[in-house]
Amino acid sequence: MKICWSWLKEEVNFKIDNMEHVVERLTETGSEVESIEKPVPLLKGVVTAKVKSIKGHPDNPNLLVVKLDTGKGEATCVTAAKNLRAEDVVPYAPPGATVADGTVMAAREFDGIVSEGMMLSADEIGLPDIADEFGILRLSESEKPGKDIRPILGLDDYVLDISITPNRGDLLSVRGLAQEVAAILDVSINELRPNKGFSDSGPSTSDMEKEFKGITLQDEGCSLYALGFADNVKIGPSPVKERVRLSLLGMRPINNIVDATNLVMLYLGQPLHAFDYDLLPEKEITVRSAREGEKIVTLDGKERSLIPDDLVIASGGIPVALAGVMGGENTEINDSTKRIALESANFDSVRVSKTYRRLGLPSEAAYRFARKVDPAKVTIALSKTFEYLVKWKAARPLGQVMERSGEEQPRYVELTRKNLKKVLLLEDMDLASTILRRLGFIETTKEEDRRVFQVPSFRADVSIEEDLIEEVGRVWGYDKMESRLPAVTRKPGDITKRMRTERQLRNIAMGRGYAEAITYSFISPDLLKTLRIPEDSPLANCVTLSNPLSKEQSIMRTSLAFGLLKAAAANIRNGWRSPIRMFEIGKVFSLEDGTELGVKENLHIGGIVCLGKDSRFVWKEQVDDFFSVKADIMALTEAKGVLLEFVKGEYPFGHKGQSAHILNNGKVIGYLCRLKPKIAEELSLPQPVLLFELDLEVLERSKGVSFGKTNKYPAVYRDISILIDKGMPVEKVKVDVKDLASQYVRSVRLFDVYEGKGLPEGKRSVAFTLEYRSEEVTLRDEEVDKAHMGLREALQQKGYVLR
Amino acid sequence: MNDKVISREKWGVAVVIDIERKTAEIKDLFFTELKKAKGPEDLEEIRVRFLGKKGNITSLLKSIKNIDPSERPKAGQLLNQLKEEIELAIRQKREALLEAFYQKEEEEDAIDVTLPPRGRKWGGFHPVAQVMEEVVEIFASMGFTVAYGPEIENDFYNFEALNIPPHHPARDMQDTFYTTNGLLLRTHTSPVEVRAMRQMGAPLRIVVPGKVYRRDNDPTHSPMFHQLEGLLIDEDISVADLKGCMEAFANIIFERSLKVRYRASYFPFTEPSLEMDVECVACSGKNPECRICKGTGWLEIAGMGMTHPNVLRAGGIDPQKYNGFAWGMGLDRIAMLKYGLDDLRVFFEGDLAFLIGGRQE
Repeated sequence: MKICWSWLKEEVNFKIDNMEHVVERLTETGSEVESIEKPVPLLKGVVTAKVKSIKGHPDNPNLLVVKLDTGKGEATCVTAAKNLRAEDVVPYAPPGATVADGTVMAAREFDGIVSEGMMLSADEIGLPDIADEFGILRLSESEKPGKDIRPILGLDDYVLDISITPNRGDLLSVRGLAQEVAAILDVSINELRPNKGFSDSGPSTSDMEKEFKGITLQDEGCSLYALGFADNVKIGPSPVKERVRLSLLGMRPINNIVDATNLVMLYLGQPLHAFDYDLLPEKEITVRSAREGEKIVTLDGKERSLIPDDLVIASGGIPVALAGVMGGENTEINDSTKRIALESANFDSVRVSKTYRRLGLPSEAAYRFARKVDPAKVTIALSKTFEYLVKWKAARPLGQVMERSGEEQPRYVELTRKNLKKVLLLEDMDLASTILRRLGFIETTKEEDRRVFQVPSFRADVSIEEDLIEEVGRVWGYDKMESRLPAVTRKPGDITKRMRTERQLRNIAMGRGYAEAITYSFISPDLLKTLRIPEDSPLANCVTLSNPLSKEQSIMRTSLAFGLLKAAAANIRNGWRSPIRMFEIGKVFSLEDGTELGVKENLHIGGIVCLGKDSRFVWKEQVDDFFSVKADIMALTEAKGVLLEFVKGEYPFGHKGQSAHILNNGKVIGYLCRLKPKIAEELSLPQPVLLFELDLEVLERSKGVSFGKTNKYPAVYRDISILIDKGMPVEKVKVDVKDLASQYVRSVRLFDVYEGKGLPEGKRSVAFTLEYRSEEVTLRDEEVDKAHMGLREALQQKGYVLR
Repeated sequence: MNDKVISREKWGVAVVIDIERKTAEIKDLFFTELKKAKGPEDLEEIRVRFLGKKGNITSLLKSIKNIDPSERPKAGQLLNQLKEEIELAIRQKREALLEAFYQKEEEEDAIDVTLPPRGRKWGGFHPVAQVMEEVVEIFASMGFTVAYGPEIENDFYNFEALNIPPHHPARDMQDTFYTTNGLLLRTHTSPVEVRAMRQMGAPLRIVVPGKVYRRDNDPTHSPMFHQLEGLLIDEDISVADLKGCMEAFANIIFERSLKVRYRASYFPFTEPSLEMDVECVACSGKNPECRICKGTGWLEIAGMGMTHPNVLRAGGIDPQKYNGFAWGMGLDRIAMLKYGLDDLRVFFEGDLAFLIGGRQE
């Protein structure tokens, strides 16, 4: 909400003119001043000048030579503008003056005639919207030449941009802000004096009133509807100073009628709408719900299809305005308008909100109605509009008609000393009462520990005691209150298992060389295609956004692989040459029936590793491959005491021969795979690319690591070497060895795998070392030999070929 | 000794004289040889020559039986002394040679310690994840327990239960992502407040870290960001308690005592509502051109207030008996301030140049 400092000063009787203090208090009490701007700050040295004569340029038919009375003498200006006549008063920038864009004027020759500076258009003054015609901006003829243009246009001012919270619809006006400022500074405000003559709703006297058949409030959503009539309308621009004010406050001047309604809206917060009375289909107004599919062309020229949620102003069965949102083109004020009907009404905030949201029409009026408008302003607003029209000689007000549906009951709210003390540690009920009364609340009951206040009609946001406490707190100032730590700790705080798990995993991953990434939870559906995710895959079971910012971010990820791969590819594209190791801990989402919301959210840790474009390294050896990543994964889980099994698996994006399911207690909790080389190539990623992902649930639930016993007796080691088929997983052989080994075998460790020369085709040799140890005695060699021989025989019986 | 030698000569005990001279000669010879020794082999050769079975000293010892019995002890003593002297000298020489050998080997094995480390370097944390952990720990120390909730929420928990009915203008404050199955991406961590109240009841102290989503994308807004929600419900809670918690937090996270100020504000789920600003961590309000605080000297840190009775009721808690406070803060912003970062958009790109670039050679 923008407001001019000068306008505020017209309303509030400041003891001292100290804008900074006002800004500070507004910010403290909840209306943050976001910016303070001096209008067109560069414009300097521009003065008024009177046109004395206009002649054609002797050598250039497109130019005119204008003689000006500058107040200090005569000046010659050459111009291409055609809108001037003698006696017009114009803004004149003599040599040395600065126009809005910072250009410093100098004398300049145009085909042999020197122009001493320049006459300015609205654009050159820096306020293009205030132009009422093409060419030089013409000021009131009563202005004397030689005066600084800034005060004449009202530019020696400040425009404050104030962030008004949604509960304070009453502050969306000069008058509302003035009231607030007066209350928080404890100063007085000028009385609002509507001209009684215009708010007369007595017996109809004028032709228009007699002719008008009446207002019907048919459906809910309009508590009060008033129409003010005026004839003798002379459409034209409003005075230049008012146009400047509208423009500074962000509204485009249109014509005197519309400008008057807008100025009143800015002043009182009451939106108004002007109909061309003669264009109303019937001389009646009905406020009703729209019919399904009913059409209206709004003032912005767009045809809108309506639904019964929308409230319309209809006349003769035809919608002429969308209530509280925007008027209709069919009854718009135009250059030939002779008679007008001014609408001032109170529309329901929810109905207006629904309509403007659905249609995407956040007009100034809708914005205010959505935040509730003071019903007491309806008739005052009409009077104020008429005041402008009379002052500007734009129309002759005739009178008004009004219809209401139900009366708003006054609200009373209680304030107790007990609760005031509890929340604010404040016991001074008189101070509280003073603050509330300054804000417009009326004290109706005064007891020692309890007061009752009537809420002013403009404070629709106040209905419970907490609201009153807030009013007292914010005006009194929270900085005045002490700070203390909440007294009783009933339970110790806990970062809980999940965060402890995350913390541990993060630290392990980082320690093992992975950089922590956070990528967007929403991804592009194209990534599903890139990663060959079939439509029936659980990975394609995505939650889809109905209003994404872009297709790139339109579905929720079902795997961390998408974001990590995208990031890796972007890194390579951006010239990253070193190895890439990244991990992320975050949620993945998939549709799932039977859950609370139909969506399952799982917390995962995922990682990506690739060698990078330049994997040359002073130490020669490669530090990353499938098995190094496997070690990383096992480090993550073993730290939580969770044991894993890796079995050959298949993933849509995984290398056929280099993909593994990760299991815990027989349940798949993740994967480790090399990205399909073709996909890596498509993404321009240096190969190999390794991806892994684990669900953290098991890790979170885990009881943690377990410990062993010290060895009392020495171990004896024996090796065993077995010839197996190439396709047989080593893990399976190891399990067999363990199963068949004697009770003294404490561990079986693979120490060699060999295939190639000296072995039959399709075979490989695997060698394990076995640790024999007893917890009760020192094993003798013969005992171990016997047990080992037994194992060899058992393995052979099972079909293994020993070497 | 000289007398003795003369008397022995007088008595014509040539053998004795022989031994004395002999030991002196052997000693001279030994030390001359030892000096020449270059390595363990030379030493061994010398040892054998002097102390071996057929060595000089051994044969002299053997000849002791030929001399006058009264002189034998003396001669034996003399020879044993020599033997010990030689043994010690060899040992010492061996040590010296060994020392010299390793000395040389170490010199030859010198490395360039400025070469880069082998294996992988430390990866690095994400500023937001790190700050999240630290902030949670601070509040845990004040008795708050972590609670979590879904990121894909329904309208009830995200809005209605928080006193934001449909069409409430406050819905304009948070542009919401909706899903095609009628849900939404939570716009704040506040929905977990009502979930936690319903699950755990009062009294209650929770903090909720997590991702939130809003339909914004510009240099200072990301459509996904991180918040930390806090909620304390107990009996007789004041705004003063809220202030105390927030100030303790700010001083710990920024590692110094900062000036704070409170501004009234509006959130539908708190009444009264406030915002807390801390003095600019970059300029302390001393630089009117400061880019971090835009010259205001203050940084918005958190929105907060006393939990609205309607929200307590939605959580099944009796507002007559209990009251409390809640706050929400942007963790991304705190991370930016703490680590002096000025572009939010690079946070979620997984850009290694940002994440570890500064530490890469």
